Amino acid sequence: MATDRQSFDEIDWAQIDEETEREISPNFIIVAVGTALMGLVWAFDYFFVTGTYDAAIGMDFGNQYTPTFQFIGWGYDVTQLDWLFAFSLLLFGAYMILPLYQNPRMTKYYWRDMKRNRPAMASLGWLLFIFVIGVIGPAVIKAPTVDLMTKYQPPMFLEINNIYPINCAGDVVGGACQGSLEHPLGTTGDGKDIFRIIVYGMQISMKIGFIATLFVVTIGSIVGTVAAYAGGLVDEVLMRWVDIQQSFPTFILYLLILYIYGASLFLFIVLFSLFSWEGTARYVRSNALAKTEEEYIKAVQLSGASTYRVIRSHIMPNSASSIVTDITLLIPSFILFEAQFAFLGLGDSTIPSWGVLIAQGRSDLAFAPWITLIPGLFLFFTILAFNFLGDALLDALNPEADAEAEK
Amino acid sequence: MGMEWYIVRRVAWAAIVTFIIVTITWGLMTAAPNPQVQAAVTQAAMDGENPAAAEERMEAQLQLDRPLHVRFMDYVVGVYTLEWGWSNTRNEPVTDALVTALYFTVQYSVPWTILTVLIGPIVGVYSAANQYSWRDHAATGLAFFGYAIPNFFFGIILLLIFGVQLEWIPIVYQTDVPVFSVQNVIQLTIPIFVLVTGSIGAIMRVSRNEAAEYANADFVKTAKAKGVSTYRIYARHVIRPTMVPLSTTMVGYLLAIFTGSSLLVEVVFGIPGLGRTLYDAVVAQDTNLVLGSTLFFTFVATIGNLLQDLVYTVLDPRISFEDR
Repeated sequence: MATDRQSFDEIDWAQIDEETEREISPNFIIVAVGTALMGLVWAFDYFFVTGTYDAAIGMDFGNQYTPTFQFIGWGYDVTQLDWLFAFSLLLFGAYMILPLYQNPRMTKYYWRDMKRNRPAMASLGWLLFIFVIGVIGPAVIKAPTVDLMTKYQPPMFLEINNIYPINCAGDVVGGACQGSLEHPLGTTGDGKDIFRIIVYGMQISMKIGFIATLFVVTIGSIVGTVAAYAGGLVDEVLMRWVDIQQSFPTFILYLLILYIYGASLFLFIVLFSLFSWEGTARYVRSNALAKTEEEYIKAVQLSGASTYRVIRSHIMPNSASSIVTDITLLIPSFILFEAQFAFLGLGDSTIPSWGVLIAQGRSDLAFAPWITLIPGLFLFFTILAFNFLGDALLDALNPEADAEAEK
Repeated sequence: MGMEWYIVRRVAWAAIVTFIIVTITWGLMTAAPNPQVQAAVTQAAMDGENPAAAEERMEAQLQLDRPLHVRFMDYVVGVYTLEWGWSNTRNEPVTDALVTALYFTVQYSVPWTILTVLIGPIVGVYSAANQYSWRDHAATGLAFFGYAIPNFFFGIILLLIFGVQLEWIPIVYQTDVPVFSVQNVIQLTIPIFVLVTGSIGAIMRVSRNEAAEYANADFVKTAKAKGVSTYRIYARHVIRPTMVPLSTTMVGYLLAIFTGSSLLVEVVFGIPGLGRTLYDAVVAQDTNLVLGSTLFFTFVATIGNLLQDLVYTVLDPRISFEDR
């Protein structure tokens, strides 16, 4: 903008009308541009890499391994799940982080509230740590590989009787192999580096959390608003379905589907999110029903706001606190479910997740307990952090509870 | 109108829900290729026979060559008349296998449920009575710990400590000890402990927050003014209204743990209960048993939710039946 200072009569009202009608916010632009860019890369991957890679190098991988960024020497194959993950990160940035920057006053207010809650701050720090390492780590650190020569290396500052490892990477003191920097968290029974598995597991946990949130919030809010606005039979049917879903044991259903169709992380995430949006739908519906009676909604409707606008800028922000709290309690349960299936050996066996590691170390518990303990503690602290955060958000975002506490 | 009509409708709804669940499971099983047929095809291909003929033979044997609606009706009738088929791995009818498994599941789930339902609200109310004291913080910490620690991981650790290191409990569950014997109590202590710590947290939190709301209620002040002891106030006046909202969430919550975590705990401790049966059936590709145990779990969940709603109507007379 070259001319920032406009006088009143120079404003082009027609243009402003047009703009407000189309509602092109910076958030939307970011999402649109980001999605378009991702679409381009995806199209490139689909048309130029997946189809041609095997032919180009003259080997038949059965279109399984197709590194997207081969031309810059990065042999990483971007999967379906990565695209979804990137998309949910984009939405998260545009509609969760950017608004915090756009409304500094409210951000400061919530921040002050949150800061008093020390466990919540520690949890936030821990989750940020997991998030950053999980997103960047796998791009930098090589995937864990099987190497029997380096099996049963102890973590730093620990030792193991030298009969277990074949080749001790650290010093051998009195017949006991000492931990070394080469494998800071030790290795498993087949020589995989635990530190690398933990980093890769972080990304898997974050993928589960973000993609599931994307599905749950989208489906939940659509169903909630449709039920509230359509009313009558539609409302009845949708809410009865929510009832069924609430009482349906998802764990068992997934076990059945896994038995029939086989396991994959993608299927896991999609299925669990498709059967977990009932809380969000309930919140949005009850909020929509309660708020449509409010004066300010009537005022907005009288001044010509569309139903979409009422939902988008009044109902959804009003339901945000319940949804966010619901989600912070939902994500850890997803992560736990994944670990449980991995532990049972029924999960996606191709991914290095924490649950797989816990299961792997089970038979070596007596002499190499760290194989199970380290991922278990990571899992425990991550679930704990989400719970603390959810608890704190419940307090911070719910002014009614605040008022009651002060009474 | 009123309560009777509501109960009738609620029971009818539960019946509809079971029907929907049965339909969904049937749809899932029908849409996917049958593992037994596939195994037969693979076998035929390996033996150098005609795979298509083997497929047809197996389909005829499993009666999969009939029209869809006939198969569906057959299936539904079979489910509701408890003819759940033959379990190939266990060499007995699926219902018999489930009853045997139930015998072991009940042994730990009954004490677990009783302990959770008793201890959870009591600790929650106690923690509300001592709000912001170290006791409250300790209880809150315990609640979060129990809620956050994965049951199966906790079980493994405890098994390592008490089974392998201290040798206080058997590492593998002994099925031949009598139900009411000291050995059985000893070997079930750790699984029950794991499940109770896992399930008690949320109940403690809810009851604490509920009870804290009543701490300054008028009826509590009146009781105090009359000279009622603190113990009696909480035991008689606060715990009752606390239990009402709790009862709406508790059953569903316990059922979620029953269908999820108990399976893991059974696998970790080697208890041959329902969860373990389902797990073994999945691993051994025993379709009838997988389906049978799945249906059993979903039926338990439906009936549990039904009971919860019915109990709620009895507990809280203020509930209105008109809009339900």
